[in-house]
Amino acid sequence: MTDLQLSEEDIDAYLGVLESGWLTMGPRTRAFEETFAERFGVRHAVAVSSCTAALHLALRAVGIDEGDEVLVPAMTFVAGPAAVRHCGARPVMVEPIGPGDLNLDPDDAARLVGPRTRAILATHWLGYACDLEALEELCSEHGLILIEDCAQSITARDSAGRFTGTVGAAGCFSFFSKKQLAVGEGGMILTDDDAIADTAASLRSHAMTSMTWDRHRGHAETYDIVDIGFNFRIDEPRAALGLTRLRRLDADIAHRRSLVRCYRERLRDVSGVSIPWGDEDVERGSHFGFAILLDDEPTRARLVRELDADGIQTTHYPSLTALTDYRDHPSRPRTEELAGRHLLLPLASNYSERDVDLVATEVKRIMATSAAPAG
Amino acid sequence: MGAIETSPERFIPVFDLEVTREDLDAVAETLRSGWLTMGPRTIAFETEFARSLDCSYAVAVSSCTAALHLAYLAAGVGPGDEVIVPSYTMAATAAAALYAGATPVFADIVGVEQPVIDVAHVEALIGPRTRAVVAMHFGGYAAAVDELADLCAARGISLLEDAAHSPMATLGGRHLGTFGLAGAFSFFSNKVLAAGEGGLLATDDARVAAFARSRRSHAMTRGSWDRHEGASEDYDVPGLGFNYRIDEPRAALLLSRLRRLENDVARRRVLTSRYRRLLQDIPGLIVPFTDEMVATSSCYVMPVMLAELSRQSALRIALREQHQIQTSLFYPAVHEFTAYRARYPGVSLPKTELAARSEVTLPLYSHMTEDDQDRVVAALAEEL
Repeated sequence: MTDLQLSEEDIDAYLGVLESGWLTMGPRTRAFEETFAERFGVRHAVAVSSCTAALHLALRAVGIDEGDEVLVPAMTFVAGPAAVRHCGARPVMVEPIGPGDLNLDPDDAARLVGPRTRAILATHWLGYACDLEALEELCSEHGLILIEDCAQSITARDSAGRFTGTVGAAGCFSFFSKKQLAVGEGGMILTDDDAIADTAASLRSHAMTSMTWDRHRGHAETYDIVDIGFNFRIDEPRAALGLTRLRRLDADIAHRRSLVRCYRERLRDVSGVSIPWGDEDVERGSHFGFAILLDDEPTRARLVRELDADGIQTTHYPSLTALTDYRDHPSRPRTEELAGRHLLLPLASNYSERDVDLVATEVKRIMATSAAPAG
Repeated sequence: MGAIETSPERFIPVFDLEVTREDLDAVAETLRSGWLTMGPRTIAFETEFARSLDCSYAVAVSSCTAALHLAYLAAGVGPGDEVIVPSYTMAATAAAALYAGATPVFADIVGVEQPVIDVAHVEALIGPRTRAVVAMHFGGYAAAVDELADLCAARGISLLEDAAHSPMATLGGRHLGTFGLAGAFSFFSNKVLAAGEGGLLATDDARVAAFARSRRSHAMTRGSWDRHEGASEDYDVPGLGFNYRIDEPRAALLLSRLRRLENDVARRRVLTSRYRRLLQDIPGLIVPFTDEMVATSSCYVMPVMLAELSRQSALRIALREQHQIQTSLFYPAVHEFTAYRARYPGVSLPKTELAARSEVTLPLYSHMTEDDQDRVVAALAEEL
């Protein structure tokens, strides 16, 4: 659905690292982390193999363990709840606010807090910030830890103007190939907390007390292993790519935002189509995806089919409660209803307003035929 | 120029990676394609790698640790189970058992001349909770996986292979990594076949392959590439998965390098045989394995064992500081690490501990020159 456009500068950066012959995390990873942390005004950034790995390590670093419960949105990608389970804890599904804001509902979260609840994993879905002020309040009231899932929300700001990923104990980012800042596979943990950063950095590479790079420079004769860690390392070529692409990130997101404005403008008055979030949210968002809501699931199915026949690929997320592996979780009716009738229209940095026009025109045409009375 | 004056001898690294024009072109072409998520290049690499092993399925993943984790899960390893692993290995072999909720039970090695898992000790350790045995082919030299395969079959447990060191290595004409239910390979940057970070699970079992494919990408019933190719948007998640994916640039790099792997390993064998010849007269040095084993090994590293244990650290420092020669230590014993001592106190493996205290890993890479090898040997002779 989204294709990635890499510049010659990106390609040179990646190939330059290969030519150097040093691929294991080293100076480029360090530079990527430092630049990333500085970009968001946060003390530490720890680069890892994926956002799933980032979530797993962030949750581990704040002490999430067996028997704990973590509140997660029911309307999200499966990586968040999977990371909770990787820690041995149980995800508890929170409903979205509603058709105007698909992010998790702080009021529903408050109802679900129980004696075992330890943390909230707030996903800033599609690049729109959650109500972080309400979540902070909820966390301080109940002594919960806030972890932000920023897989889709790099550079997005909340209503108070704060970057997503800088408010909670840690923010977790994705550099998967479909993301705004894409390197193939990769992720990052952002945190102001020295202990979280140290734990994450240690556990990403088997909790070894010295790294290959240090040993390469003759800094260590041997090493100890002080915890049960993982191989969640990124490598130098991907770090170099992330670093060059970071320079264009603001321009890419500004372009995505202009496409979203264009979609909203074209689809504003289309009968049977509603658009979540408001104009102010659009200005603060970072636009991983563009969602519309249809009246019901059959209408969505028909729109998907007819757009597909035009060569326009769309996507949508299942409610977590609809997945086989989560069927022992109680139903979340608001999520299931919205999951059934939302649709993500194509959106990527290399799309033009003409592409958006074309898609919007097709949506309008298809919806007009569906709206016509039968016979 | 100052650097040359103060350092008359060039630094010899313990490993070195040579990336060719073909490798760079393959990666550049992939990056230009704009498709980085696992797709046609990953499939092509998996197909070629499986063919090179003479096995049915290869599933590329993010690391060998990930491959081990998936292999253990595929073998049904879970909470309450025991997995018999060597301690003379990289810690991932044991850590992956803990990820699966199982307990690693450490087996000793045969000895410093043969630092691979001891079949007799494995047999003694098999108990009612043993679910799997893991053999690691240290340095690319075969553990007795033929005997272990028979033993495991007789006891109704799974044999798994940590083949991180051993692509292209064989035992009795059969590729290492294909004797057990699954073999886990590493493409970490210092490995025989290197791509930065990467790994692969090889298996002849269709169910194991399907399981690994599913779980490496969150157990989603459809991946991005399927959807790109027009498959339905609707997917299910029938189990707990991970993000253990590799990506297309690394798959393209691996595919390009795989074409040279046979030559690279042949060159490593020549260098290893030459090392063995040159080192045989140095007193106080035990060179593990035999001359005959070199021909079927991947010759990933060049281990030597010091007769005098107390010299291990001093020798490594002297080689680095007096001779500009980097060495490594493959490996400290896993059961002696703080994290494992705390969980499993009282484990005693005398042969593993001896090897861990006497091993020094000498520089070896496929494009190493004979001159550099001579320098390493001369430095060793001088220091010993």
